[in-house]
Order: sequence, then C-alpha cells, then structure tokens
Amino acid sequence: MKRIFNLYTFFLLLLVVVALVRPYAFFYGLQRGSLYSLIALPLALILGIVGLLNLAHGDFLTLGLYIGYILFNQFKFDPILSMIFIAPILFVIGLAVYKSTIEKVLKSHHLNLLLITFGVSITLVELINSLWTSRPRNVYVTYATKSISLFGISIGAYEFLYVAASIAVLLVIMLVLKKTRFGQAAFAVGQNPRGAAIVGINVKLVYTITFSLATAMMAVSASLMMPRVSIFPNLGGPFTMKSFCLTAMAGLGNLPGILLSGITLGIAEAIVQSIPGYSGWSDLVFFGVLILVIAFRANRGAER
Amino acid sequence: MRRLFVLVSLLLTLIVLAEKPIKIGAILPLSDITGRQAANAMKLAVKEINDAGGVLGRPIELIVMDDEMKPEKGAAAVDKLATVDKVDFFVGGMSSSVHLAQIPILKKYKKITVWIGAASYKCEEAVGADSDWYFHLHPWDYLQGESYAIGWKAITEKYPQVKIEKIFLAYEEGAFGTSSFKSYQDEFELAKQGTGVWTGLMKDLKGGPFKSAALGGGDYRAMLLQAKQYDPDLFIWAGYDADAIPMLSQAKEIGFSPKLFVGAPPGWPADFGKNPLSNGVVLYGMWAPALKDVSAIAKHFWDAYVQEFNEEPATYFAPLGYTNIYFLIEAIKKAGSIDDKAVIQALREIEYESPVGGVLKISPSRIIKNQGFRAQKILQWQNGVQHVIWPFEYATANLIYPFPGWSTK
Repeated sequence: MKRIFNLYTFFLLLLVVVALVRPYAFFYGLQRGSLYSLIALPLALILGIVGLLNLAHGDFLTLGLYIGYILFNQFKFDPILSMIFIAPILFVIGLAVYKSTIEKVLKSHHLNLLLITFGVSITLVELINSLWTSRPRNVYVTYATKSISLFGISIGAYEFLYVAASIAVLLVIMLVLKKTRFGQAAFAVGQNPRGAAIVGINVKLVYTITFSLATAMMAVSASLMMPRVSIFPNLGGPFTMKSFCLTAMAGLGNLPGILLSGITLGIAEAIVQSIPGYSGWSDLVFFGVLILVIAFRANRGAER
Repeated sequence: MRRLFVLVSLLLTLIVLAEKPIKIGAILPLSDITGRQAANAMKLAVKEINDAGGVLGRPIELIVMDDEMKPEKGAAAVDKLATVDKVDFFVGGMSSSVHLAQIPILKKYKKITVWIGAASYKCEEAVGADSDWYFHLHPWDYLQGESYAIGWKAITEKYPQVKIEKIFLAYEEGAFGTSSFKSYQDEFELAKQGTGVWTGLMKDLKGGPFKSAALGGGDYRAMLLQAKQYDPDLFIWAGYDADAIPMLSQAKEIGFSPKLFVGAPPGWPADFGKNPLSNGVVLYGMWAPALKDVSAIAKHFWDAYVQEFNEEPATYFAPLGYTNIYFLIEAIKKAGSIDDKAVIQALREIEYESPVGGVLKISPSRIIKNQGFRAQKILQWQNGVQHVIWPFEYATANLIYPFPGWSTK
C-alpha cells in the first residue's frame, strides 16, 4: 500500500513539475493521454476477461467514426449525441464478428486468435475502403475548436472531454465489475475460466457479452473524436498499437493503471513535441518509456 | 473464280489489319481517387476518339491495370501489358515509389511511354538522359518549387501589400515532407547568396516537423505554437489530405492566423470546400474546377466527365489522364503511323491545349529530353470553390489577402 502511495505521489509530483515548466505540454499530454486511455480501456477489458488480443480493436473505432459521420452528414446528428446510436450498432457488429469468427477459434492456439483478429482487421479496413474510398472525411462543429484560458495560457477546451470521459468510463467499468452479477461473473471468468464454469457461470455468454460490450464502448471515443480528426479507413491501426502498449505498461487487469499509463505516455510525447526540432523523437520516447516501465516491473517481479 | 477469291482474301486481310486496334496500356492506383478518376478520364478520351472514327482508321483499345500503389504490382503490370496484352504504348502513373520500380522494366521494352505521375527527381535520375522513348508530363518536384517562387513573385508584383519574407514550413516527418523541407532549405541557401528563384522573396525560413494523421499522428498544436511565435508571412504545410481539417481546427484553437495559410497536400479531403475553415486557404495544384469558366477545353472535359460518370472530377489527375490520351493520339495522328521514331518526333513537335489549363509542349528538363508541364498553379479556396490565382492568364478570382482568420468560422 505504501509502495503504491509513493508511486502515485511521485507521479503527481512529476505532473506538477511538468505543468510548471511546460504548461502547454502538460495540458496537451493530459488530453492526448486520456484519449489513448479511453480507447485502450475496452481492449484491456477483452484482454483481461476473454484473454484475446484484439488486433481489429482500432478498426471498430474507425467503423464507429464512419457511422457517426453518416449520422452527422445525412441526419445532422450532433457528433457527441450520436454516441447513443453508434453504441448499439457497434454492439451488434461486435456480436456478429465474435460469433462468426472469434468464438470458433477461441479454444485453439493463441496464434490462431491473433491471426483471426488480424483477418477481421483487414476485412474491416477493406470494407470501409470500398464503401467510402480512402478519401478522408471530416465533421465540423464550432464548439470543438473553442479555447479557454487556464493560468494565463489559452488551451483548446474540447479535448478536456477526453479526460472526463476516460475517468467516467473507467469508473463505470470498475463499478460494473464489482457491483453487478454480470461483472462479478466476468471477473471470475477472467481469473479462472475453468473454475468459473464449474461453479455454474456461463463462460461462453460472458465472453460474448464482454466482447460485444467492449466493442460498443468504442462509441464513446468515436463520437468524442469525430469533430477533431480526419476519418479514413486506416485511422484505427495506430490506436490498436497504442492501446496494446498502454495495456502492457499498466499490466494485465490493472484498469486504473491504463489511465495513468496513458497520461504518462501522452505527457512524455507532448514534452518531446514541444521541443523545436525534436518532435520526430516522440514515438521513440513513447516506446522508450514503455520499455523502461515494463523492464522495471519485470525486474521488480523477479526480485520478489 | 480463283482471282476473285484472292482479291476477297486480300481485302478481308486489309480490313482486319485496318480494324486492329492501337493498344494503350495504362497503369494507375485504382483504389485511390487520383488513379480511379484518371482511369475514368482516359476511358472518356478513348470513347470520344473512337466515336469520332479512331486514329489512322483504327480504334483505340485502352487496357487499365491497377498498381495498388505497390511498387512490385506496378512493375509486374508493365511486364504483363508488354508481353500478354502486347500494348503499343504505356501511359498512366501516380506514385514516385511505384514508378521507381517500373523504370527498369520500361527500359527493357523501350516502348513509347507518356507518364502523368511521379514527381520525384529520383525518377528522372533513374530514367536518365538517353531514354528518347520516355515522355514525362507532370512537373518534377524541383520544377514545381521553382514555379511557386515565380508565382509568388508575380503575385507580390500585382498585389504590393503581399509580403513573403518569413516562411514557416510545417512538414510531415516522412520522406515527402522532409524532402519538401530540404528543397526549401536549398532554395533558401541560394536566395541568401543572391541566386535561385526565391531571391528577393525569401529572407528567412523556419521548419517544423509534425506526425501526419495518415501515419498515426494528428496533434499539430506544439508545431503550430512554434509557428505562431515565429509569426511568418507565409505558413505552408506539406502533409497529406488527412491533415487538412485537423490542422486548421487546431490553428483556430490556438489563434494562429498567418497572413497566408498555404496547404500543399497531394489531395484534399472530401467536401473540404464546404468546411467554413477552408475559406482563404491557398493551395498549389495543376488544375481547379473553376478553370471551366475560363477555358473551353476545360469546360468540355468537365461537362463530358460529369455526364459520363455522374460525378465531378475532384483531382487534377482527371484532366491530366484525359490529356495523357489526347496528347499521345494527336502525336500518332501527326506521325501518320505508330512507328516509334515518327511518334517520338511528333510528340516533340505538337502543342496541345489541355483541360489542365495551359498548352502542353515538350522541352528538356534537368536530365530528360521530353518534359511536358513545368509549373503548378497557385489556387485559393474561396467560399467553397477552388479558384486560380496565378498564372494570371487563367485566373478565376483575385487573391483574398490577408487570410480571413477565424472570427467568422
């Protein structure tokens, strides 16, 4: 407990120092890192409970963005409100994909699982490409470019929604896992699927619902990102990679750790980007920090 | 009876020979809008020519291959067209990296090639000086850079209030962006010595890299803040279409409004003009839809394309693809045969009024003997329409200066 407290105190102190020295990098990193966390949380949920590394994760995000784009373009739906329509559509798509592909190979070798989600990813990208072409699409709402003044500096206000949403989604997931029957069943399945099955939990159903719900959760990030990004078929790929990095950095099953990892990596990235002439190093720093943390954790585990 | 049989056979042979189509092999990236629309425009040109009786009494057959933007596919397509389809001419092209893989194969067959893509000087080096059969219509990258300087110089003379002394180049970290910055740096060095096309214009240059949204980036705020502090006369970004709107949104968010906001991506996102942020953005390109208001051939192309495909041409590769076919056919017509020497000679002599805007005429570039277009145009988005600002003979609107900023957007 003391060790965790020390770690969090150190982390908070680090954030304060960054905020004082490079305020823009602090705020931009906080916003960007929260977005990474928001996208990574459903991936971590699937990985923790189903034991599946979903390589099509980012492509479901892309699909959500295109659904939102259609709702905005054809029916003038507000991007954020469109979340209520995107979520059920993604739930059904997730369910269909899971039942038709992943479930069939769930008990086979891990490599097969990876390959099948890789196949789903390619199929989704090509499908999107043939439906909407590779030309980027955009959704523009004036409120997404508003600024606010914080401690004397002007910062874009919209992306603070990422911070709020990532905290809210994290709290909802934790609450569901701890306080509902389904959550407790899912938690048990994640810990020991055989044991859970012996005590009467329908493991198959838990897997199906977890995957579909996690896919539906991508609606939150898709609708929030929509007015801020260009929508194109390959948008999701890099987010799958970053989500996996965050999950690896936080450790399996550590959902709050994903938020901390996201913010840490986001701020590290923003600091590098703010140094003139060195922005190209941001990926290097991102993955460097990741390797350091994993190596540190592995070393600490070995010492125990 | 026997004589009659021989005569009929001879006549039939002549008819078959006369009807034998002239085969043109086109290689384009069909999944990309540039390649798809260029292929459509080529088909349109072939249809028009065939409807008018073909050329030399023979119909034209166009065989289109998809290079999928992959060098190995592009190179294989050349082999297939040459050996299986036995085409007489090669046309098409878009990506430089694909073309670099195709050049050694094209050299193997030495068929007359009229290419509309591949702007990289590396392709020119690979083609070499002795490839008489090779014609390149798209301006090389260095020719484009020179034409921008010529254009801005002309604009500063026409609009004395326009000043282009401090330039900030935001460039994506990949090969495209960094080579753009490198060429600007080279030009800046020349300008400092009092030589080069930017002399008298560019007095200071600063660059800022960014990670393109197309490659997993999309956060430009740190770079834009650096640009804002620098306060340039001309801000130009060299990235991809996916960067266009987010770059403008984030510039608005941080209150960065340079006097000239210039974008230089190879293409623009769908409905960019409809986005209020686009108003006043300057761009470089070979063509603008508004050219149809000042050029008869551009209007003919536009109307025919819309009628045939029920969509508007959205990229300059559409009129360029149309030009690609007509330029070659005009040369065949002038040569009176498809003999290589005669066609090469004719291609070097003809002048073709193109829907791209301007007269296409072959002249040497740094290395090759057969270069077509040499300049890009300076355009500006005004109320949702891409207008030509320079060259003035094709201008469809006056320059909006300074950039209108963000208060009404």
